[in-house]
Amino acid sequence: MTTIDETTSMSNERSGTAAGKPRGPRFLIVQNSPRHRAVQAVLIALTVVALLWAAGQPTFRLGQFTNVFIIAIAVVGLNIVTGYTGLLSIGHSAFFGLGAYTTGILIVRYEFAPLATIPLAVLFAFVLGLLVGLPSLRIHGLYLALVTLAVAVSFPEIVRRAEELTGGAAGMVVRSRYLAPPEWTGLVRGERAIWMFWLSAAVLAIVMLLVRNLVKSRFGIAMRATRDNEIAAAANGVSIARTKILAFGISGAITGLAGSLFGMYIGALSPDGSFTLMKAIELVTGLVLGGIATQIGPLVGAFAVVFLPYWTASWAEGPLSGVVFGVLLIALVFLMPEGIVGRLGLLVRKVVAIVPSDHPRRTAASHDPPPEPPSPPGDEPLTASR
Amino acid sequence: MELFLERLIIGLTNGSVYALLALALVVVFRGTGTLNFAQGELALFTTFIAWWLTTESFPVWIAIVAALLTGFVLGAMIERMLIRPVQRRNDMAVLIVALGLFTGLNSLAGVIWGSETKIMPSLFPNGLDDYVSLAGARLYYDALTVWGALIVLLVLMTLLFRHTKLGLHMRAVADNSESATLAGVRTSRILAVGWGLSGAIGALAGVLVTPLAAEQLGLTTMFHIFIAASAAALFGGLDSLVGAVVGGITIGVLEAMLTGYVSFIGGALQQTSALFIIVAILFVRPNGLFGTKRVVRV
Repeated sequence: MTTIDETTSMSNERSGTAAGKPRGPRFLIVQNSPRHRAVQAVLIALTVVALLWAAGQPTFRLGQFTNVFIIAIAVVGLNIVTGYTGLLSIGHSAFFGLGAYTTGILIVRYEFAPLATIPLAVLFAFVLGLLVGLPSLRIHGLYLALVTLAVAVSFPEIVRRAEELTGGAAGMVVRSRYLAPPEWTGLVRGERAIWMFWLSAAVLAIVMLLVRNLVKSRFGIAMRATRDNEIAAAANGVSIARTKILAFGISGAITGLAGSLFGMYIGALSPDGSFTLMKAIELVTGLVLGGIATQIGPLVGAFAVVFLPYWTASWAEGPLSGVVFGVLLIALVFLMPEGIVGRLGLLVRKVVAIVPSDHPRRTAASHDPPPEPPSPPGDEPLTASR
Repeated sequence: MELFLERLIIGLTNGSVYALLALALVVVFRGTGTLNFAQGELALFTTFIAWWLTTESFPVWIAIVAALLTGFVLGAMIERMLIRPVQRRNDMAVLIVALGLFTGLNSLAGVIWGSETKIMPSLFPNGLDDYVSLAGARLYYDALTVWGALIVLLVLMTLLFRHTKLGLHMRAVADNSESATLAGVRTSRILAVGWGLSGAIGALAGVLVTPLAAEQLGLTTMFHIFIAASAAALFGGLDSLVGAVVGGITIGVLEAMLTGYVSFIGGALQQTSALFIIVAILFVRPNGLFGTKRVVRV
C-alpha cells in the first residue's frame, strides 16, 4: 500500500458520505466529449507556448531546462518500478550511468552517431533492469532497497575498474564535434544547446505518453495490483514474477534512455560525477517531491531537484545543500506524502472530474442522486486497503 | 605463511568492525522489523563528536563515552520523532526518512567539521611498533581491541536478549507488538531503547574503526563499512546476533583474501563483491543463514 492509496481512498470516503446529497466535483467533464477535447487542446497549447518561451532563454538557462527534462525522464523510469509496482529502488543511478556510459563509449570508441547509440543504451539498461529485478522475486521491501543500494554503489566501482573501456577514475570526454546536432535539423555545431533542449523535451513527451498508456494497459493494472496486494493479485491470475521483472526492465530502460541523453548533454563522464548513490537519492527525492505514481509528478519533481540547489546556493553552499536535501526529504514524508502533483490533483478533483461517457451521474441527469460517487481518475487502488 | 597470517588478521579485524555495525542493524531489526539505512552515517556523526572532543583536549575515553551516549540519545530520538510516526504507513516512508537522515547527517558532519580527513586518536597505543608478533605476522593492539570489543558486546547482547526482562520485552515487541502491548509491555519505550542501543553500538564501532581505517576519519569512512555490515546482517538473517558476527567475519576475511590473492578484483571491487555476496545469500536463503522463517498469512 502506498501513500497515494491512502489519500485517494480518503477522498473516496469523503465523497461517499455525500451519497444522499451529491457533493462531488462541481464540474463533470465527459471523456472524449468536445469539452474534454477542448481542455486537452488548451493544455497542449499552453505546454507548447511554455516550451517556446523556454527555448528562447539564454544558453545557461536552456541547459538547466534540458537537465530538468533528462532528470524527469529518469524519474519517470523510477516511477514505474517504485510508484506503480511498489518496489523500492535506490539503485537507479546505475541505470542512468549505464545509459550515459554506453552512449559515451559507442561515440568515442566506435564512432557511432549520438542518436544511434540510444537503442543500445536502452537495451543494455533493460537487461540490467531484468537482472536487478530478479532478486525482487524473493526479497521484499527494505531488503530489496538494500540490494538496489548495493547496485548503486558498485556501478562507479565497476566503471573505475574497467579502465580500458571507460577511462577509469579519470573519466572520459566526448569531443563536442561528435555531439553536434545531426545535419537534417539544419542546426550548426554551436547550437548544440538548443538541439539537446528539443531532443530531451521530445523524448520526455514520448516517454510520458508511452508510460501513460502502459499504466492503463493490462500490464499496468497487473503492476498496480502487485503493489497494492501481492497475494490478492497472484490469486487473480497476475504473474507476480513476470510483472516485477518486466517492470524493473522497463523502468531501467527508461532511466537508461535518460542516461544516454545525459551523456550527450554533459559530454564528460566520470564515475564519481553523476552516477553515484547521491544521484539515485536525487531521483527518489524528485519522485517523492513531485508525487509518487502520478503522471506529471516526475516532471515537477525534476524541476525541484534541479533548481533547488541553485535557489539555495546563496545561503547554502557545498555540503549544506546535502543537509537541505535531507531535511526536505524528511519534511516531505511528514507534511506532504502525496507530493506536489498528488496534492494538487486532490484539490483539482474536488472541482473538476473527468468521467467516462456512461457514467451514472451523467446519464441519470438530475432525476435522482447518483448511486455511486464518481471515482477519481488516475491512480486509484485496485483492491481494498489491507 | 606470514602473508597469509597477516591477511587473516586484517580480515578478522575488518570483519569484527563489520560485525559490530551489523549487530547495531540487528538490534534495530529485532526491535522494530525495519532496517536503519542511516546507521552508518549515525556512527560517523558520533565519531566526529568523539574526535571533536579530543581536539578540545578531553581524554580519549571520555570522548568515547560521550560518543556512546550521543549515539544512544540520537538513536532513541530518531525512532521517536522520525521513524515511529511514519512506520505504520509503509516501507517507502521509512526508507525515505532514512535516506533523508543519511544525506542529512553526512552533510551536516561536513558542514560542521569540514570535509578534510581527521586523525582519531586510539584508545590504546597504536604506533607502528605496538604489536605482538604472531608466527612472524604482526598483530597490532588496536586490532586486538576491536576483537575484544566484539566478543564482549556479543556476550552482553546475548545476555541482554536471553536473560533480562528488557531483552524479553524487546523480543516480544519484535515478535508481535500488539500482543506485547496487551500483555503490559511498554512498547514505545522498548522501541526507543532498541534504537538507542543500536545508536550506541554504532558509535562504538565508529570510534574503534577510525584509528584502523586507511582513510582515517572522513565523510566517506563509514559508507563501505555500512554496505559490508548490511551484507553481514543479511547473511545472518537480520535477526540473529551470532549470524551477524559470523557474517561480518566471513565477509571481512573473504574480502582480505580476495584483495590479496585475486588480483583481478584487487582493491577496486570490494563493494561489488559485497553486493554479490548479499544477492547470492538472499537467493539461496531469503531469510539468511541463521534467520527465522517468517510465515505470511493470507
